[in-house]
Amino acid sequence: MSDILLEIKDLHAGIEGREILKGVNLTIRRGEVHAVMGPNGAGKSTLSAVLAGRADYTVTSGSITYDGKDLLSLAPEERSWAGIFLSFQYPVEIPGVSITNFMKAALNARRKAAGQPELKPAEFLKLLKDKMALVQMKGEFAKREVNVGFSGGEKKRNEIFQMAMLEPTLSILDETDSGLDVDALRIVADGVNRLRTPRTASIVITHYQRLLEYIVPDVVHVLKDGRIVRSGGRELVDTIEKDGYDGIDG
Amino acid sequence: MASTDNQIIVVGRDPLPSVLHIEGGEELRMTIIVPEGVSCEKSMEIHLDGPGASLDIAGAWRCSSSERVHLQVIVRHNAPHCHSEQLFKGVVSGSARAEFDGLVYVAPGAMKTVAHQQAHSLLLSADAFCEARPQLEIYADDVECSHGATTGYLNPEELFYMRSRGIPEEEARAIQVEAFLAPVLNRLP
Repeated sequence: MSDILLEIKDLHAGIEGREILKGVNLTIRRGEVHAVMGPNGAGKSTLSAVLAGRADYTVTSGSITYDGKDLLSLAPEERSWAGIFLSFQYPVEIPGVSITNFMKAALNARRKAAGQPELKPAEFLKLLKDKMALVQMKGEFAKREVNVGFSGGEKKRNEIFQMAMLEPTLSILDETDSGLDVDALRIVADGVNRLRTPRTASIVITHYQRLLEYIVPDVVHVLKDGRIVRSGGRELVDTIEKDGYDGIDG
Repeated sequence: MASTDNQIIVVGRDPLPSVLHIEGGEELRMTIIVPEGVSCEKSMEIHLDGPGASLDIAGAWRCSSSERVHLQVIVRHNAPHCHSEQLFKGVVSGSARAEFDGLVYVAPGAMKTVAHQQAHSLLLSADAFCEARPQLEIYADDVECSHGATTGYLNPEELFYMRSRGIPEEEARAIQVEAFLAPVLNRLP
């Protein structure tokens, strides 16, 4: 098992012919939490979209190696099976599909891909209950339609719940703090922290330093105009807090 | 017609009555299914003939290749204080063609009528065709009538969300179709 989990090299990517990422380099080792910070429009969400395999984004050059594999050649579901998880900035509503059925389909698809038998109903229900407890969700939550009528906080907790269910190796939290009050932020951060292992890694994408008080990063990157212009330890968060993004250049 | 049981009619297996009458105070609950591979051209008229008669009808069709489905449902409110609920949902793909005509007629004097009609379609391929033509003809005052018809496509955001959780594309589509038809199919035993 290699120490390096993700290696992004000179990544250029964009949408509708517009280049947004202009040569991103990033190396993430197992056990690490990386924060990617930056002003609006810097390319933070493009980075998460490209990592998760959103079809409307085009990679024009560069490479992404994940766990020894060429990530860009994998379909979104294959990336999930390989252990990648994106916590969406705007979680999607799926009317008519319950959380239970959604998670059952997700877990069993992954097990099928790995040549494992489906989970027994009792095993599945126990897992569901345990992971719901992690984000302080109550019993009826599992019966609700995915994200339909959820508050902002419930949607983000649902993302972390799904993350707990799928036990990813690399989790990408895209603006998970947006729209959260302090209580929900604590629950979400607590869930993420409890899922940290020496084998896994996280990318925390955020505009503000607030979430990083709860999920403490090992490395902080500043993304500006499609490039990482500075990387450093957590003290970089304080510099940004004090001087804003304007004061930081490559 | 005095039963409040849910009558299930599978087109191609069961005959679809052409005219039904619901007497005062009686209730009719019916679910019509047009299975995959079945083409049909059917028309049905349902009369609510006495005060307090009530109708709860739903239908679903799944056309996936070259089926031709045309369903016409005419609901006639002939007496006051009657209630009708209609929900029709269809999924059309391949080069299939599905049409739905729904008429709600409220006769003179049928005041306090409550009539709701919904017809929704999901179109899955460029060669498929669907059309819903809801119509209201109201000749009475003091009624509550509504109808809605939509044609939608599978939501690519939902699809990506499911795939990002490891659900393969084909299965994600099937889940969306199932969820779309669920309000009708859940009425089946």
